Amino acid sequence: MILRYELKKVLSKKLNRIILIGTLLAAAALSMFAVGGVSYVDREGTVHAGPASTRRLAADRSRWAGELTEDKIAQAVNSRKEIRNRYPYDIPNEEYGKTIQAYNDITDFAIDVLTPDEGWDERVLYQLEDGQAEDLYSIYEANQQKMAKEYGRTPEQRQFLEEQYSKIELPLTYAPMDSWDTILVYVETYGMILAIVVGFLAAGVFAEEFRSRADAVFFSSKYGRTKAAKSKVAAGLLIATIVYWTGMGILLLISLGIMGVSGFDTLYQIEHPYSIYVMTYGQYCLLAVLGGYIANLLAASVTMLIAAKLRSASVAVCVPFFLFCVMQFIGRALSNFLTFFKLTPDMLVNVLGCAKSINIFQIGDYVFRQIPCVMMIYFVTAVILLPFVYRSYHCYGLKKKGI
Amino acid sequence: MELELKNVSKEFKGVHAVSDVSVSMRKGVYGLLGVNGAGKTTLMRMLCTLIRPTSGEITWEGKNILEMGAAYRDVLGYLPQDFGYYPDLSISDYMMYIASIKGIRPMAARKRTKQLLGQVGMAKYEKRKMKTLSGGMARRIGIAQAMLNNPKILVLDEPTAGLDPNERIRFRNLISELSDDRLVLLSTHIVSDVEFIANQIMLMKNGELFYEGTTEELISSMDESVWHCTVPKNKANDFMARYLVGNVKTAPKGAELRILSKEPPMEGAVREEATLEDAFLLYFGEKAGDIDDTEI
Ligand SMILES: Nc1ncnc2c1ncn2[C@@H]1O[C@H](COP(=O)(O)OP(=O)(O)OP(=O)(O)O)[C@@H](O)[C@H]1O
Ligand SMILES: [Mg+2]
Repeated sequence: MILRYELKKVLSKKLNRIILIGTLLAAAALSMFAVGGVSYVDREGTVHAGPASTRRLAADRSRWAGELTEDKIAQAVNSRKEIRNRYPYDIPNEEYGKTIQAYNDITDFAIDVLTPDEGWDERVLYQLEDGQAEDLYSIYEANQQKMAKEYGRTPEQRQFLEEQYSKIELPLTYAPMDSWDTILVYVETYGMILAIVVGFLAAGVFAEEFRSRADAVFFSSKYGRTKAAKSKVAAGLLIATIVYWTGMGILLLISLGIMGVSGFDTLYQIEHPYSIYVMTYGQYCLLAVLGGYIANLLAASVTMLIAAKLRSASVAVCVPFFLFCVMQFIGRALSNFLTFFKLTPDMLVNVLGCAKSINIFQIGDYVFRQIPCVMMIYFVTAVILLPFVYRSYHCYGLKKKGI
Repeated sequence: MELELKNVSKEFKGVHAVSDVSVSMRKGVYGLLGVNGAGKTTLMRMLCTLIRPTSGEITWEGKNILEMGAAYRDVLGYLPQDFGYYPDLSISDYMMYIASIKGIRPMAARKRTKQLLGQVGMAKYEKRKMKTLSGGMARRIGIAQAMLNNPKILVLDEPTAGLDPNERIRFRNLISELSDDRLVLLSTHIVSDVEFIANQIMLMKNGELFYEGTTEELISSMDESVWHCTVPKNKANDFMARYLVGNVKTAPKGAELRILSKEPPMEGAVREEATLEDAFLLYFGEKAGDIDDTEI
C-alpha cells in the first residue's frame, strides 16, 4: 500500500516520466545501432548493412558451423594463405564475400591462439609451416600452460589457471556469434545508462520529503520512521529492478530479435582463446546483464543512502556517474599500480573488459577471478548499505542527545 | 488524556529556543500565543517527535513519547507551520499516501478522505494536483491530512497565517468543529484566532511559557485597565512613549488611542472592557509595533 503510493510519487513527477520514456527509447535506439553495426558482404562484393545483414552473415558463416576440428582450421588457414599469395596487398571484396568472410572467425581464432600474450598480428598465420595448422590445438594447449606459468605468481594461482583452461573442451564447437558479439557492448553501455537513471530516481525517493518540505508530516506519522521508511527502501530496489529489466529486456528483445541468437552455445574462447572464463556467448551475455543489474542495485542503494544522509538529491545523483564512468578512467590509469583499481565498481559494467584479461587474486590458498569477486563485493555492499539507509530515516532528527 | 511537558528545553547552538517549559494539557483547545521567534514551532516540533528536547521529558498518559514511538504518533495529527506536500500528487493520492504511512487501511482511508475533504470544503477538487492549490486550499488539505487518523492530539502550527479574513474565520470554525473530544494545540501570533475557540491560553516569550490559563483568567489577571481617549495629534507620540498603546486611529479631532494603564492617562479618558488582545499587548508590550503589523 505505502509502496504503491511511493512508486506513484516517483511517477507523478513529469521529469521522472520524461527520463523513463527517454531511457526506454534509448533502448530501442541502441538496438538499432547494434543492428546497424554489422555488415555483410555478398558474393558480388557488395557491402550490406541493415537489419537483415547479421542474419545473412550468420547464414554465410554457418557453412563452417559445427565441431571445429583441426582439419577444418587447417582448411581455413590454408585457404587464407592461398588468397594472400594471390592478392598480397588488397583483397577484393568479391573474394572476401565469397570465401574469407565465412571462415574469418576461424582464422582469427588461429591468430589469437598463436599470439597468446602479444599484440594481434595477422602475419603469424602466413608464417605457419605446412602441417602446423593441423596441429593448432596442441599449440593452443602448450600456450595455455605458458600463460598459466606467466600469470600464476604462486603455485596455487598456476594450478587455478590450469584448472580453468582444462575446462575448455577441444575441439571447440563453432557457430557464428556476431549478434552476441555486437550486443554485448551495448548491454554494458546501456547498463551504465540505466544505473545513472536508477540512481536519479532512487535518490528522489529519499530526497523528496526534504525537497518539498513534506518531512514534518512524514516523520510525525505513525509509520514514518518504520514501515514507511522500509517501503522507501523497497521502492528504490523495485525501481532499480523494474527499470533495469524492462530497459534491458527491450534492448535484448529488439536486437536479438532482429539479429538472431546464433552462437548462443559457442565458447567465448573462439574470440579470446586465453580468457580464463570458460563460458558460451549466451552465458556471457547473461553475466554481463547480471553485472549490470548489480550495478543498478548498487546505484540505487548508494544514492538512497547519500540522499537520505544529505537530505538532498543533488550530490547523490552524481554518484553513479562517478562510480561507473569516471572510475573507469581512474581505474584504467591506476590499475597497474594498485590491485584495488581492478576491483572498482565500473567493472560491473565492463564484464567484457574483465573477461579478456587475466586478473586473479589470492587470499591464503584461495584463488579467485575478477568478475565473481567484483560482483560479490558490490552485491554485498549494495545489501549492507540498505539498513543504513533505513536507519538514517528511522533516526531522522533524533540522533544525538543534546544539540 | 494527558500530555505533559516536564522541564523541557531545546537549545540550538547557544540559542535557547525553548527554556524549561513545564505544562500539562488535557482535552480542549489550547492557544499558544507568542511573537515571532518565541519558540512555538520548536515546542511543537518536540511534541511531534521531530526533534529531541535538549533536556526534560514529554509524556503522553505517563509514558515518554519518544519511547512510545509509533504508538504515540498513532494518536498525533500535525499541521506544520511550513506545510510542505508532494506537488505532483493529486489531492486524493496525497491523502491516500499520508493515510498509508499513518497505517490506515485503504478502504477506511478512502472513506475518511472523502469525509474530511467534504468537511474542509475540498471534495470537488479531489483530482487537482497539489501544486495547483492556493495557500488557503493547501492549508485545508493540511488540516485534513492531520485529521486522517482521528488523532487524540492535534497540533496546528499557525494554521491561519497568510489566510484572508474570511478564510481565517472559516478556519477558526473548522478547528472548533474538529476539536471535539481531543486535545488541540494551536499556535498563532494573532489574538483573534484563539480568542473565541481556545479554552486555555498559553503565552510564550523568549522560549519560556510564562502564562497559562483561561481567557477570562488572563484578562482578569491584568492589573492595568483599558482606556479610550482622544489626544491632539502632536501629543500622540508622547502618549505612545509613556503608555502601552494599542490601536491608534486618526480622527478629525486628533488621535484616538487605546491605552493600557492603571490610572486614567488623562482627563476624559473612558474606561473600556479589556480583551485578550489587550492582555497580549500588556505581556508582549515592548513589541507593540510588531503586533500591530501582524494584525489583519
Ligand atoms: N533548527 C534551528 N537551528 C537554529 N536555531 C533555530 C532552529 N529552529 C529555531 N531556531 C531558533 O529558535 C528560536 C525559536 O524559533 P521558533 O521557530 O520556535 O519560533 P516561533 O515562535 O515558531 O516563531 P514564528 O512565530 O516566527 O514562527 C528562534 O530564535 C530561532 O532562530
Ligand atoms: Mg513558528
